[in-house]
Amino acid sequence: MSAGEAGVTPRDGEPAARSAPESTAGWAEGRPAGAAWPLTLAGLVVVLALAAVTRLLDKNVPGLLEGTALEDLGAAIEYPVYAILLGLLGNAVLTATGLRDRLAGGFRTEFFIKTGLVLLGASINLKVIATAAGPAILQAIVLISTVFLFTWWLGGRLGLDDKLRALLSAAVSICGVSAAIAAAGAVQAKREQLAYSASLVIAFALPSIFILPWAATALGLSPEVAGAWIGGNIDTTAAVTAAGTIVGEQALQVATIVKVTQNALMGVVAVALTAYFAFKVERRPDARRPGLGDLWERFPKFVLGFVAASVIATWWLSTVSADTGKATIGVANDLRVWFLILAFVSIGLEFRVASLKEAGWRPVGVFATATAVNVALALGLAALLFSGFSVA
Amino acid sequence: MSETEAVRREEPPAQSSGWKRAINEDWAATIIGLLLLILVISGVIPTGLVP
Repeated sequence: MSAGEAGVTPRDGEPAARSAPESTAGWAEGRPAGAAWPLTLAGLVVVLALAAVTRLLDKNVPGLLEGTALEDLGAAIEYPVYAILLGLLGNAVLTATGLRDRLAGGFRTEFFIKTGLVLLGASINLKVIATAAGPAILQAIVLISTVFLFTWWLGGRLGLDDKLRALLSAAVSICGVSAAIAAAGAVQAKREQLAYSASLVIAFALPSIFILPWAATALGLSPEVAGAWIGGNIDTTAAVTAAGTIVGEQALQVATIVKVTQNALMGVVAVALTAYFAFKVERRPDARRPGLGDLWERFPKFVLGFVAASVIATWWLSTVSADTGKATIGVANDLRVWFLILAFVSIGLEFRVASLKEAGWRPVGVFATATAVNVALALGLAALLFSGFSVA
Repeated sequence: MSETEAVRREEPPAQSSGWKRAINEDWAATIIGLLLLILVISGVIPTGLVP
């Protein structure tokens, strides 16, 4: 979704050509409205080409490095690392040649990651989702409410604008860029506030992809607890998937269930913010009370696809032999990996730090402190709620 | 410029076609993901086809 689509617009007097790239810190916004389809297609070709190179490296590097001093390193690097690094490299090249913002219409991270997550649902038994749903919902409610309110309070103490507080609080407590976009629509934030929040999300998410798997190993966490920690802590869904993949399949499954649960609760927060700003902050006389329709409108529909894929695959696997089932679901997994690679490449292609420089240190301080609280609280909750949980 | 116009320029309305497009992207991901899964389990996309 573009910033314009979310209901935010460029600042006054800002040329459209400048405003578009400003917001591409987030991978969901910043595409010029009505971008010509040949450029979008060219952007897609770039993403596909980098994804193909990623797949090639992922399949061949371990074999090529076998027997050398780098053998362990080659075996340890997972495809998200190649994809993000190649995306960042492509970003640098396209920025230097002035092409990046023109091709940005093809960098559809949100679409790629959601399609990949729907396909991931096929490899998770419905029983696992049903068993994990309870602790995942509990963790999400405690984390979202605590971290949101802490960030809101800290932002107020440091004198941030109410709308920026709302965006940062939603982004750090729920699901990163998607939540920031939802909150921007709810509180009618300005475009630069959304761009800035999205920049912060990605600036913090990128290192988390590598730091959290390392920390989970260093702390000796089980795959399930590591997954719950990653899913509860890293803000944005694509980065959660990347970090979970680095830890392993079991961690990825739990991380995804936890993150998808947070995604599902995003609508509740967005509707609550809409009502709060309408009735308490701006006191609009024409404001109407939000209803169930608003909740449904803001509900991330891919969550339904994720659960439906699990239902379909669980039923289908009960009708075929174990070997047939494993081979066939392996094909769905290959497709899932392709979509996730496309998403990770897009993350690298869309990353930019320009708008971060404009807002000063206070929002960065709020976001960093809130992230630290989120890390500690998510670790405690993951250990408490998922220590006895098993995906196998 | 009237005061109302000034306010409108500073605080643009946040709801409009945006959510519709987001919803479309959400549904598109759901439909394509499920469609691919059905093509896989029905054998239309066979083992070995995806590189």
